[in-house]
Amino acid sequence: MIVPLGHVLILAGLLFVAGLAGVLLRRNLIMILIGVEIMLNAVSLTLVGASAYWRHPDGQLFALLLMAVAAAEVTVALALVIYLKRSRGTLDVNRFDGMKG
Amino acid sequence: MVTVLFYTLAAITLATTVLCLTRNNPVHAVLYLVQALFALALLYFMLGAPLLAAWQVILYAGAIMVLFLFVIMLFEPPVADKRTSGRLTHWFFPVMLGGLLLACGGALIAMDPAAKASLSSYWLTPRDYGRALFERYALAVEIISLILLFAAVGAFHLGRRYRSTTKEDVS
Amino acid sequence: MMGELLFLIPLLPLGGALVILFAGGRMPRRMLSGVAIASVAASAAMTLWLWPLAGDRTRATLFTWLDVGALQLPVEILFSPLAAAMTLMVTVVSALIHVYAASYLHHEPDIRRFFTLFNLFVFAMLVIVLADNLLLLFLGWEGVGFCSYALIGFWYRNPDFAAAGRKAFLVTRAADVLFGIALLWLFRLTGTLSIEAINLQAASLPPTTVTILALLLLAGACGKSAQLPFSSWLPDAMAGPTPVSALIHAATMVTAGVYLLCRMFPLISLSAIALAVIGLIGAATAFYGATCALVQRDIKKVLAYSTISQVGYMFLAVGAGTVTGAMFHLLTHAFFKALLFMVAGAVIHLAAGEQDLFRLGQLSKRSPTLFWLLLVGALALAGVPLTAGFFSKDAILAACFARQTLWWTSLGIAGLVTAFLTALYAIRLVYLLAADRESASGHGPAPRGLVWPLLPLGALALVGGLLNLPAVWGGHETLGRWLETPAGALPSHDLEWGLAAATLLLVAGAWLFIRNRYRVPPTVSPGGAGVSFLAAGWQLDSLIRVIITAPFEKIGCLLEKSVERRLSATWPAGLGRLCQVTGQSWRVLTSGYVSHYLAAMAWGMVLLLAMLVVLLVL
Repeated sequence: MIVPLGHVLILAGLLFVAGLAGVLLRRNLIMILIGVEIMLNAVSLTLVGASAYWRHPDGQLFALLLMAVAAAEVTVALALVIYLKRSRGTLDVNRFDGMKG
Repeated sequence: MVTVLFYTLAAITLATTVLCLTRNNPVHAVLYLVQALFALALLYFMLGAPLLAAWQVILYAGAIMVLFLFVIMLFEPPVADKRTSGRLTHWFFPVMLGGLLLACGGALIAMDPAAKASLSSYWLTPRDYGRALFERYALAVEIISLILLFAAVGAFHLGRRYRSTTKEDVS
Repeated sequence: MMGELLFLIPLLPLGGALVILFAGGRMPRRMLSGVAIASVAASAAMTLWLWPLAGDRTRATLFTWLDVGALQLPVEILFSPLAAAMTLMVTVVSALIHVYAASYLHHEPDIRRFFTLFNLFVFAMLVIVLADNLLLLFLGWEGVGFCSYALIGFWYRNPDFAAAGRKAFLVTRAADVLFGIALLWLFRLTGTLSIEAINLQAASLPPTTVTILALLLLAGACGKSAQLPFSSWLPDAMAGPTPVSALIHAATMVTAGVYLLCRMFPLISLSAIALAVIGLIGAATAFYGATCALVQRDIKKVLAYSTISQVGYMFLAVGAGTVTGAMFHLLTHAFFKALLFMVAGAVIHLAAGEQDLFRLGQLSKRSPTLFWLLLVGALALAGVPLTAGFFSKDAILAACFARQTLWWTSLGIAGLVTAFLTALYAIRLVYLLAADRESASGHGPAPRGLVWPLLPLGALALVGGLLNLPAVWGGHETLGRWLETPAGALPSHDLEWGLAAATLLLVAGAWLFIRNRYRVPPTVSPGGAGVSFLAAGWQLDSLIRVIITAPFEKIGCLLEKSVERRLSATWPAGLGRLCQVTGQSWRVLTSGYVSHYLAAMAWGMVLLLAMLVVLLVL
């Protein structure tokens, strides 16, 4: 396989920015979570690419750990989504401004 | 041949991601995301991480995304979001932000000589993977498992239906 | 080995205080006072037993208290003859007064607090006496100050008494600051705090420094010993129970200043100016105290001013260079003044709390024993020949005259005048207490516990002169030889005889004068301006108020208005408003929308990446 490392990184960067755009632009909480997932996957890709570049297993190991953390994050986040939907009746982030100073 | 496959998969990943993020119906969005994750799993495989690719499919696509689907299905009717607001100001800053990020990242990649080094897959067998994980990072594994436990407990706590405190509760 | 036992002398009263403090609540009253008396009596017995050690100037170290660089501070005591004499006096007098106090405070509910503080005081006083370094001495110095404060205000529910305690504390503290300065300065100059080492090195210090140091030490001593200008606290200190007045404010604590000067005498004697000032303060205070004592109506205040006056004599002795004389007078004064105070306490007890001399009387009929004891004490105070007070006072005056300079001769004459005044007020006291008139009625005969501790003191007041009988009277100056302290200039025999005759004449004159005046029991008369001036202690309190307190208050008010209000109100309020305004304007940033926060994070990331790009490009 003959691909420059830079291309893998550019792909990861594009995915990351796409995820970030989703997080920033969407108003639905679930869509924001999906954006976060995409950003996490972009990072995973970087790690795997780095692992191949340095010929070292650590990158892949961290990708796995990242996956586990993502699972934990999703669990809590979805529980929060359910809680918010139940208590506020909406998932529109612009309606949640309880932290307004 | 392999190179072509890489770029094809990359294109698929990007396309499904963009499609996923632009859907109004979350169910559709999740399904596109699953596709993107599959493509990413193939990319992992090509880069020499077969185990990770398998987990990507089993864990991410199989468990986490299904969890998403369940949650979305819980809401009756399924949450359908209006398009994000069409106001220019709302779009302007995030797009500029993304552009700047890409520009900076691209510039950094372009400047880095390592980026030009061609990459060949670094095969890591499940055996090596397991050794590395449980020898060097055993503590990290334990910590992650605790985090998962806390997350489960937290999710359980958040998901409980609290009855309003009435006399029966007090007694 | 025996040396370590010396520590038991101060530690026994401390142990007594702790036992009473922690277990006193569960003890019967008799047992509680028994513990207090026993601990002090054991300390006195210990002193007698270890007496031979004093001849070798035994020193003993318990442990090293501080060891910081150059500062080596062992908890060390020095059992020199000087300290031994003082220790014996303190422990014996304390033990007698403890016995007396147990009877005196028979109806007092809170004797636990009283005896805790009383025993603690004895401990602190013994620390002063035995300490070999100045910091340990200072510790005891402050300890007695605290106990004095707490015991003057023992009946703290009376605001006047509590205020008297505060006054004593503050006035002595003001003087202690000067003492503290001297202490630190000495450490800086000599690198040690050991009294002996400092005295040895003193000769190598520049004379001006020595003078200033001696004056600072004098100031500290003046505060503790109620000498001018720090004297005003002692008359007020009579608010405390009479045993307190007898022990702390007559026999022991007020003489701590004299003792300090005696210990530091090798240093002080290097400066003629300091000696002259000490003599001057002593003579002036002696005269001042005697004049005030002449017109007091409160029996205890007579004795308080008398104490000020007598301690003034001791200062005069130190100034005149006769440490022996000072110590001699210190000891005899402790005997007869403690005696007088305890007689006064018994008289007050008999009269159910009446302290006004013009309402007391008929003592000789009510309690002849007390009357005789009063007579003994008063005669010793007046310096009637052959009593203890006569020998000690004459030794001081003789030392003054023997210097044969104009300065010391005039101070000696002042001392003689004071001796006449002393005889006047001492005899006046006797006449007023014995006056045949209606007096406040009270309990029956004085309890035995109030009388028998006075008997040994009475005996000592009578024959205490034998301790240091001058050669003229066929003695050997035993005390002086034993203490090995400087005795000052040697007076000629003619001078001594002349002084004895003068004293006799003065006492006789005073007796005739008082007899003439008080033969008919006097009625209460308002008295002229002069009398009220003297009765108020020469208006010393008002003077201090005008000179020190009032300006201090004015400066305080001024500072409060000009500085403090700005610092504590105006400026902080401005700062607060500034914070509020900025906070209000920055509030916009916290919109509460998650996407805004995330955007901010992303902008931060852009910034970091841009920085990296710029760094790489450069």
